[in-house]
Amino acid sequence: MKQDTAAKTMIISSVLFFGLALTLGLLTALKFIAPTVGEIEYLSLPRMRMLHTNVNLYAWLLQANMGILFWILPRILHTKLFSEKLGVAMAVLYNLTLLGGAVCIVLGKVQNVEYGELPLVIDILIVICWVMFAVNVFGTVAIRKVKYLYVSVWYTLGAVIWTTFVYITGNIITALPMVTGINQANLSWFFVHNAVGLIFTPMGVAMAYYLIPKQLNTPIYSHKLSMIGFWVISFVYVWTGAHHMIHGPISHWLQTVAIIFSFSLIIPVIAVITNFFGTFATAPRSTRMDGPIPKLLMMGTIYYIFTCLQGPFQAIRAVNEITSKTDWVVGHAHMALFGAFSFYAMAGIYYIAPKLTGRELYSKKMGDLHFWIMTLSSIPFFAVLWISGVIQGFAWLNPENTFVQTLAALKHAHVMRLVTGGGIFAAYVLFLYNVLQTFFGKYADEADAETISE
Amino acid sequence: MKKPDIEKSLILTALGAFLIFAVGAVMTTIVPPMVDKSFWDAGEHDVHEYTEQELRGIAIYKSQGCVYCHTQQVRKLASDQRRYGWRLVEAPASESWEYVNDKDHFLGTKRTGPDLARVGGKYSSEWHWAHFKDPRNMGEKFESPNGAYQSASIMPSFKYLSDDEIKDLTAYIQTLGRNKNWRKDADGNPLNDYEQ
Repeated sequence: MKQDTAAKTMIISSVLFFGLALTLGLLTALKFIAPTVGEIEYLSLPRMRMLHTNVNLYAWLLQANMGILFWILPRILHTKLFSEKLGVAMAVLYNLTLLGGAVCIVLGKVQNVEYGELPLVIDILIVICWVMFAVNVFGTVAIRKVKYLYVSVWYTLGAVIWTTFVYITGNIITALPMVTGINQANLSWFFVHNAVGLIFTPMGVAMAYYLIPKQLNTPIYSHKLSMIGFWVISFVYVWTGAHHMIHGPISHWLQTVAIIFSFSLIIPVIAVITNFFGTFATAPRSTRMDGPIPKLLMMGTIYYIFTCLQGPFQAIRAVNEITSKTDWVVGHAHMALFGAFSFYAMAGIYYIAPKLTGRELYSKKMGDLHFWIMTLSSIPFFAVLWISGVIQGFAWLNPENTFVQTLAALKHAHVMRLVTGGGIFAAYVLFLYNVLQTFFGKYADEADAETISE
Repeated sequence: MKKPDIEKSLILTALGAFLIFAVGAVMTTIVPPMVDKSFWDAGEHDVHEYTEQELRGIAIYKSQGCVYCHTQQVRKLASDQRRYGWRLVEAPASESWEYVNDKDHFLGTKRTGPDLARVGGKYSSEWHWAHFKDPRNMGEKFESPNGAYQSASIMPSFKYLSDDEIKDLTAYIQTLGRNKNWRKDADGNPLNDYEQ
């Protein structure tokens, strides 16, 4: 089988699913303004919300990450992918599974786990796919032709190992009959938080650790910081799940533990960020603004630092009282998964797509335009969610305000959210066109060459 | 800087990453229910056992995704307890033992609508019926004192549910919060008339 088929399959299907996920996001935002739009069961607001998160998490971001790592790992390890056939089989099974899962969600056959709504059968199929992915990752590392494992490889190995436990705990253990109430809540938030922290963070950081030095043609700033970042995050991240229940009906000590570790997350994050910014700072000036890739990587890193500074402060009890359960949280989650890690994934796709086809990116200019529209829409998109979250949080403090009154105060924010979301979607269309042209399109100079040869 | 030897070994790196993660994983998932029995055992408290109808209601609540807009936890905050109280009586904060019979917890992370942890018995089942059918126009009988603000509600209409489904769902909602007997008259007699 042709080399990199698995990477190509996963990258292309993830890009298409990204469009579906954003469309669902827009529909959800529209329903916040006009709740009577699409008033049928299969298009109801909660179903669209579940579909939006699941398609984003698994069909777009996780799939894109796996595809990109299928390409990156062999390059770092100076070898071929352990088994291309296994990779392709996994890609096909994974996409079919997710399509089935999407249908289940629309029909309301869901599990009661945020981010893990896909029903048990689908969960088991995803675990099978994940094992196939793990075999390929471990196999590729085992047949490597280099001695030392590069940072990206540590993070990938970590992601594979941690995710296995995190995913099974959140999706399968929580479904066991004896797991009820607060015990279940604790496990599902262990999953929810670590889905972001121990799946998407290490995979995103693994990609960035490869893409930033490669694209800027500059070695990573500090190996010591790489080590601190990796080993500290693998220790502290997993403790933080209970910060979703601060002030809530769960043991006070467990909340405190979660808060302390949430705050400690500043350490590994600053290590990683310093390393990335250090690499940017020591890179030749000409490479830093060359096309969309370094820009996406830079912006992703900026979003990463802001998300990871919000997180620790949100976990403080006094701040949490205002921000928790409001739109703020939605803004925070979007900045992590869309802002930081989707930007990294898009940078990776722009980097790899031309290499897979053996030619240049279809249009650097269009890539730049995509980057600027997406960035300039996403900043107000996040900001409006934080602002409305804080308005809501303070409005709730006064019992004189009825709940619907506090909601009425957010009308403008909800309109802004739809408008800026529309900007993000428009930028996505440019991204999609650019990537598909790179894979399948005809280039102007190629067309010229053909006419000449005729 | 000299790279440490662990970076040469697949097995050591993988094992290290696993072990160091396992410490926190065990401490936050397995240890808490061992230390705090109220996660799974209500002790001397009396916890409501759901009837078959209420269980059907729970299944509808879950499949309709109510939890994405409604939390079910009155936090230990004065603002929560006041807002979700009843006739100037503050709602008691939710406690872990209250949830032991919930096969699916609906604590939630987002309040696009109000918290429902203590909503049982606050509104009549007839009110819920009208509200599920059209949250923005509940008819003359339940004209909201907030008038114009009622139209700001963004709750979807659940008119596509069958009459029986709405009854099941309402039956479940009327149980919420009943594990604490907090609505009493001046003489301390319970005012929970859940069948209304």
